[in-house]
Amino acid sequence: MAELVKVTINGEVYEVEKGRLLIDVCREKGHAVPSFCYYADLALQASCRMCLVRIEKMPKLQTSCTVTVTDGMVVTTESEEIEKARRGMLEFLLANHPLDCPVCDRGGECELQELTFDWGNLEERFIEPKNYQPERYLSPMVANDPQRCILCKRCTRVCDEWMGEEAIEAGGRGVATIISAYGDWLNCSQCGNCIEVCPTGTLLDATYRHQARPWELVRTVSTCTFCSDGCQLALGARGEEVLRTVARDRYVNGINGEFLCVKGRFASHPFVNHEARLRTPMIRYRKGGKLVPATWDQAIEFVAQRLSAIKEEHGPQAIGIVGSPRLTNEANYTLLRFARDVIGTEHYTATDAFSLVPFFENMGAPLATHRDIRYAQTILLIGGEPEELQPLTGKQIRQAVRNGGARFILINSVPIRLKKNAAQFVHVRPGTEEAALLALADADSVEFAARKMGVETSEIEQVRRALSEAQGTVVIAFGELSPAAQKIVAQLPYIYADDRRRFLFHPLPLFNNSVGVHDMGLMSGAMTATEMLDAAGKGVRALYVAGSFLQQHLKGREEALSKLDLLVVQELFETATTEYADVVLPAASFAEVDGTFTNNAGQVQRVRQAIPPVHLSKPDWLIVASVAEAMGARFGIELSASAIFRDIAANVPAYQGLRYPLLKDESRPVQVKHEIAQRRDISGEIETLRATIAQADETAAKITETPPVGHELFKLGTLTEKLPQFHYLAAGNPKPENTLASSPLVQLTIDAALRRQRQEMALAGD
Amino acid sequence: MRIEAIGCEPLLLARFNLENSRSLETYRRHGGYEALRKALTTMSPDDVINEVKKSALRGRGGAGFPTGTKWSFVPKDSPKPKYVVCNADESEPGTFKDRYLMERDPHMLIEGMLIAAYALGARTAYCYTRGEYKYLIDIMDQAIEEARAAGLVGERILGTDFSCEVYTHTGAGAYICGEETALLNSLEGLRGHPRMKPPFPAVAGLYGCPTVVNNVETLCAVPWIIMHGGDAYRSLGTEKSGGTKLWSVSGHVKYPGVYELPMGYDDMEKFIMEDCGGIPNGRKLKAVIPGGSSVYIMRAEDIIGKDVRMDYEGLVAAGSMVGSGGFIVMDDTVDIFESTKNLIEFYKHESCGWCTPCREGTDWLVKAFKRIARGEGRPEDAQLLLDLCDNIEGKSFCPLGDAAAWPIQSAIKRFPEDFKRHLLPLAEQERVPAVA
Repeated sequence: MAELVKVTINGEVYEVEKGRLLIDVCREKGHAVPSFCYYADLALQASCRMCLVRIEKMPKLQTSCTVTVTDGMVVTTESEEIEKARRGMLEFLLANHPLDCPVCDRGGECELQELTFDWGNLEERFIEPKNYQPERYLSPMVANDPQRCILCKRCTRVCDEWMGEEAIEAGGRGVATIISAYGDWLNCSQCGNCIEVCPTGTLLDATYRHQARPWELVRTVSTCTFCSDGCQLALGARGEEVLRTVARDRYVNGINGEFLCVKGRFASHPFVNHEARLRTPMIRYRKGGKLVPATWDQAIEFVAQRLSAIKEEHGPQAIGIVGSPRLTNEANYTLLRFARDVIGTEHYTATDAFSLVPFFENMGAPLATHRDIRYAQTILLIGGEPEELQPLTGKQIRQAVRNGGARFILINSVPIRLKKNAAQFVHVRPGTEEAALLALADADSVEFAARKMGVETSEIEQVRRALSEAQGTVVIAFGELSPAAQKIVAQLPYIYADDRRRFLFHPLPLFNNSVGVHDMGLMSGAMTATEMLDAAGKGVRALYVAGSFLQQHLKGREEALSKLDLLVVQELFETATTEYADVVLPAASFAEVDGTFTNNAGQVQRVRQAIPPVHLSKPDWLIVASVAEAMGARFGIELSASAIFRDIAANVPAYQGLRYPLLKDESRPVQVKHEIAQRRDISGEIETLRATIAQADETAAKITETPPVGHELFKLGTLTEKLPQFHYLAAGNPKPENTLASSPLVQLTIDAALRRQRQEMALAGD
Repeated sequence: MRIEAIGCEPLLLARFNLENSRSLETYRRHGGYEALRKALTTMSPDDVINEVKKSALRGRGGAGFPTGTKWSFVPKDSPKPKYVVCNADESEPGTFKDRYLMERDPHMLIEGMLIAAYALGARTAYCYTRGEYKYLIDIMDQAIEEARAAGLVGERILGTDFSCEVYTHTGAGAYICGEETALLNSLEGLRGHPRMKPPFPAVAGLYGCPTVVNNVETLCAVPWIIMHGGDAYRSLGTEKSGGTKLWSVSGHVKYPGVYELPMGYDDMEKFIMEDCGGIPNGRKLKAVIPGGSSVYIMRAEDIIGKDVRMDYEGLVAAGSMVGSGGFIVMDDTVDIFESTKNLIEFYKHESCGWCTPCREGTDWLVKAFKRIARGEGRPEDAQLLLDLCDNIEGKSFCPLGDAAAWPIQSAIKRFPEDFKRHLLPLAEQERVPAVA
């Protein structure tokens, strides 16, 4: 418990923790203090001068954002003098600010507008011409109107402190200071957090520009549908169309604050109303024929009959059920029950990139929330690349180091960007990350592992020492690992157990509901996704797939799907999987359904319906339940997402007692109670790992190049490719010739033409 | 251009008129580096600080903070390296004393920096010079090399255990980099923005380490203090501000130049009319800005016959400040509206843009001044200008905001007639006689 001090604010005495910022205390106690540049957990700026207060015994008005409370401090936040100062500052800020609110995207949710209502003067005394700066684009995602800038520099600070990119910076001096990028073009991860934190209309979402006014949008708080971090966001819908995604904290207060990454912010909604969405159920009546639109009744009936027939002829194990780590817990759980209770097959799985079952079965410590990471004392990251694959985790690690002084140890074969925040970087040979785990678990293997990894034994000893001397919270984060390595990592807390430290885990799976799909039990089926494809046409005659197989599953098994007697696919779009489907059922996207996702911190968070299902699509769980019903089975529950969740709570121990109303508040996410495993014997796994690592090439060259920003983030996928701007990023985000005139998308076409022209000329020249 | 001491023996200017005054040889022949030897061999660092405290030497950069006190703020037990930084970013309009100190007697500055480094336990000293003084950096570099060759800079200075490296560093021409924390940012290679205080540089300065930033003239006074004792230095001046002060005199006087006066020199009228040769061309004195452009402008009536003492207290009593000693004299041909417009344009150009009032306020003021100069002034503009200054003063992040507001406030209050004329409609302006 921190020391308490007595502070008097406007004549009222409060006891507060010593060392807190005065502005926070004032606001918490209900004394409004305006500010622009102050932003919690960012470096202090004290430049907007809006938060001036009078503190007794201090000569001038003081900025309350820079003063920490001390005992006996007497503060006045309201007086004639303070009012004059604040009105003066606002007048200054508005002097060169164009009053074009009616055409500004931010109009209606602009902090400058709001504070002007509070502190603006009735009359404008500034009769001089305003300074002019042209509008322009800083990237395909970020539009910029420098005239509106009040230089609070939240954008430059989030870029530096959250993202570690320093892509956006102030240039020029004095009144000519302008927020800009190096070379006037943003070559960054395009997270758009600068847009989010901008209090005015200076930095704007270029993909949403001039499309709607904020007050036209109905906002629905939901969970992001890309990576496993589970950021909370608000979908803004007008009518039945989702127009934008924000994390602005006046709308949503999730684990991520106002943070989102390029996918979450820009790619969360364009696919929802995309023209390529499947519109009706479709049936392929004969192999090699065309998919023909059908009614739901026909399609359900068709699927039910064929499944029943195959079950009769080949037995239930001939039918495989495949869920997806992209779908809600409700959908995956319904699929599992469909597999077990209706079909009676052991062949069920989900299309996750890798299984975490060995980890969850042996995990010797709870999962770390993102807040735990931010305030951890030690962070160990083995493999993975969170800044590209789990950007919120990346941000939390960065802030833990920069703002919290955490010790960050990185073991990776790739010098990923987070390296620059690492206190220690163990740079191993490609594919030998697991040798580090072996060395951490088994003191006798240190020398062997170091030789295989191509590092000094002292480097490993240093990591071992860091773990055995660490105090406070130790977070162990890891990317894809083999089953043996997963068991070893899961048992590390027992090896390094001590009263002075608390171990927490942060696995880094790839998808929004990867953890949920494990929790639902779908990953514990008798076959994996690739095994099912290998068995297609042999042991497995029919597949019922919700979502699609990943490229990595289909690679080398392109023909597998054509060998099935029946392939049923629930999808949003036509994909490589629907190509061979006998029945395609249009599913509703995350924006159109209620449900839950479980993130990599084990937090189960709500997905909420923002718009009704588009076209004839239906929620995945409803489609499955309809097929089950047509096959004569009933789940014994009333059909609704919350009823299915009640069923989950009744049958999945970690979810026991949970109900939708308990998940209502996104600012207090509920962590499910994964069972903590006892200490296990891992000698077998150590042997397995030794054997695998023994085969590693001791002469293999190390990867010395840091992968470029966006090499994973900007990859085009089924969802991200629906946003035209993403193609621009995937093409390398070249700076257009003219960033002023029009959208870079127009420029892209022009540039392509120019490029072709140049190529042709070059060819002709040769 | 006159360079001389008046009312005292030349202390800072002692070697200015010697042949080859900037060479090490000349400097040593006239007692140079003896103070350093004395400090290193006979005094402890605390003795040096105490001597400087006793001398009542106050910072000559403008703020006038007691130097010894500033040095004693540096935590002795800090495990971090400590730094001495010489602020040679002399950019206050009307000030040109440091330039001559470095040009004519660079070794005096180096010796002062070394003594300061010894007193503070620093092993590194930087001389941060404004970019426009490129030729001075060459002089300084040459002097440092000379001193290094003579074992006065670098390892084991004068055969003692004390080692100190001296470096020069150039700014890129920003006024704000004369503010000590902005200077430190610039020295670190960052944007020249002022930093938040506290922490003060003495605790967390360059690279987050304890740092003392002193003006050139301040450091130049240190060797004399060590040689002759703090009491002797103090006795040259007044009780509260010891020693001598350089005044950079410019404007409408017969003999502009750099003058060394004892602190508490009596009085300003004599200084202008006799020492500097009075106002040329038979003109009358109209106004004086005594301490560089940022201080209050003074009317002739407040100087003539008023016995204004030239030290910190005397000038405050007379309604202005010593500042950096940039002494600007204006005769009755000067339109104070125009001279103030010139100043505010400078402050707008030099505002770093960090905080709202200074950035937007100076821009607005310049726009208003320009509008008034075009003949579009309105009677209410005088109040507007004052109000804008009031909204800047005391509310900006660093003192540059105050520095921009004070000259305007004082000019409007003390020379209302010059402003009133401009605020009349154009047709009427012609009927009101312009300044002489």
